[in-house]
Amino acid sequence: MGSRGILLLKLAPPKHYIFNKNTISISSSKVVIRRCSTTTTRSSLQPPDVLRLAETARISLTSQEVEEFGPKIRQVIDWFGQLQAVDLNSIDPAIRADTETDNLREDMPKTFENREAMIAAVPSYEEPYIKVPKVLNKE
Amino acid sequence: MVSTLHHHPPRSLSRFFSSSSTTIKSRSFHSKPILCSDQSPSSTSSPQSQILSIRHSLLSRHVTATQLAESYLTRLKLTEPHLKSFLHVSEHVLKQAESLDHRIDRNENIGLLAGVLVGVKDNICTMDMPSTAGSRVLENYRPPFDATAVKRFKELGGIVVGKTNMDEFGMGSTTEASAFQVTANPWDLSRVPGGSSGGSAAAVSARQCVVSLGSDTGGSVRQPASFCGVVGLKPTYGRVSRYGLMAYASSLDVIGCFGSSVADAGILLSAISGHDRLDATSSKREVPDFTSQFISTELLGSKPLKGLRVGLIRETLDNGVDNGIKSAVLGAVSHLEELGCTLSEVSLPSFPLGLPAYYILASSESSSNLSRYDGVRYGNQATADELNALYGDSRAKGFGPEVKMRILMGTYGLSAGYYDAYYKRAQQVRTLIQKNFKTALDENDILISPAAPSAAYKIGEKKNDPLAMYAGDIMTVNVNLAGLPALVLPCGFVEGGAAGLPVGLQMIGAAFDEEKLLKVGHIFEQTLQGCRFIPPLIADCDAQ
Repeated sequence: MGSRGILLLKLAPPKHYIFNKNTISISSSKVVIRRCSTTTTRSSLQPPDVLRLAETARISLTSQEVEEFGPKIRQVIDWFGQLQAVDLNSIDPAIRADTETDNLREDMPKTFENREAMIAAVPSYEEPYIKVPKVLNKE
Repeated sequence: MVSTLHHHPPRSLSRFFSSSSTTIKSRSFHSKPILCSDQSPSSTSSPQSQILSIRHSLLSRHVTATQLAESYLTRLKLTEPHLKSFLHVSEHVLKQAESLDHRIDRNENIGLLAGVLVGVKDNICTMDMPSTAGSRVLENYRPPFDATAVKRFKELGGIVVGKTNMDEFGMGSTTEASAFQVTANPWDLSRVPGGSSGGSAAAVSARQCVVSLGSDTGGSVRQPASFCGVVGLKPTYGRVSRYGLMAYASSLDVIGCFGSSVADAGILLSAISGHDRLDATSSKREVPDFTSQFISTELLGSKPLKGLRVGLIRETLDNGVDNGIKSAVLGAVSHLEELGCTLSEVSLPSFPLGLPAYYILASSESSSNLSRYDGVRYGNQATADELNALYGDSRAKGFGPEVKMRILMGTYGLSAGYYDAYYKRAQQVRTLIQKNFKTALDENDILISPAAPSAAYKIGEKKNDPLAMYAGDIMTVNVNLAGLPALVLPCGFVEGGAAGLPVGLQMIGAAFDEEKLLKVGHIFEQTLQGCRFIPPLIADCDAQ
């Protein structure tokens, strides 16, 4: 099964996954859909800078991890790039599935009953403070 | 792992594995509780549901809740060294069973799930036991509250038997990404149970518990249900409160149910569904009584599903799907036709785009949702003399590689300048997929497809190739993008393991139409001849 999976994704062009422009009518709009490509395409955007991303995401990566993750992340992001080839001009983005809107509760604070358990879960606690190391300003 | 089974005409479903050589008219193992000790079977007219069977046995004093709990716990202890489905087993099970027995003795009312042992996926908060989401970053974390879904089934008498293993934070399809252990498939211990709710699926498959809760963001209930030969139910987005479910992708996550029968999954769903003021995305829609769908086969006519329009999704039977899977699904198609359904093929052209769209949305949302794990208010904390290093090191030590990669990919997708290219486009693809499904479900009552392109593969087979693993999700992710409900139930087998490997059929319904799915699923299941879905690991236990 693993080899089959690789067949799907690495060979170019597998018979099924070729660049095929089909014009398909969906509801009343005409949309051009390119068949899903599972080959990697070069994205025209800047490739991911793993170290910079790690800094933004506040994860300290080892140099070995940077080396290991780099190509895998690039491969997946290149694979994401196929969405750029699809014509999505007249389509609204959908934030989520549901369409119900009025689901807010009243803005009234309510005491959480189990404060002790919540505080017990804090790794460094010095009543009444949650303790953290100092914040250094970056130069 | 290519199956070589040929497609036979419908009657030969009995050519599929049967754990005993007798042909049975219906899945009769449902009519007696699966116990290792010799207990008298409940009456043959009881419905095909373990939960209802237990209720009947308790109320008729055939068995006590304590005896029942002991029998499940014995089987759990026997099978756990092989399966490793659980990250934590509760110490309070027998105590709760005993207190239930006292209530029964006093003729007090007992809830619908009284005495039912429930496994809970470890990303769902349970107050009196650890909840880790399969991650070291939350090792030993004890939430100060129960998730709403847990609270609701406990109110009906359900007993949490333990927390089940999962891929870390839901990111994976095998449980190999759990920080703690890999769960084995009860059908073949060298194979994966699926994921990310692999532990929950394996536990029900091996009858370590009666039912279990999982979560489904891109197929994490449905794919393991298929791999483990159990029923997996993914409700409509908003049907079940997400309060207490540790968020992976907030626009896609749902809590789902596993059972050894459609009825059990449906009863559990009815126990946990409904609006919750603590979840702004939970629907205010009324919840129908799901439990009224489960009529006995004797009461069904000869074509009980006459008039039901079923659409087979063409794009799910393309190249890349194992022949054995196609065969099993086509067998299911024949079975549905025998029951009176009208089958047609439907095309969902945007279907293949759903996979990259899903991974963009899921990794982006997860990068935001997992930013709360910073070692400050809960979880494992690294030692550092500066705050950013505290964050960086706590997260570096606490998160596994797959989680780190997805956070980084998501961070990229949401970065200034890239949002339009990735996240926004993925949301536009989501709109297309929703429209495709809506059109198809206007013309059909339900849609069907395989739940996965293959049966369970070997542990370690896909570990190093992320895209290969993602490709397996193609059957399931589009349903999450559209927020629709789906039911997976075992429909056949492929070759592999000692006794064959189960294959699940996925049925997809219109939003909030779980009732129809459960009705169709129940009838399909009850009339499926010659197929028993009990893994060989516990077959001896069952025979006693």
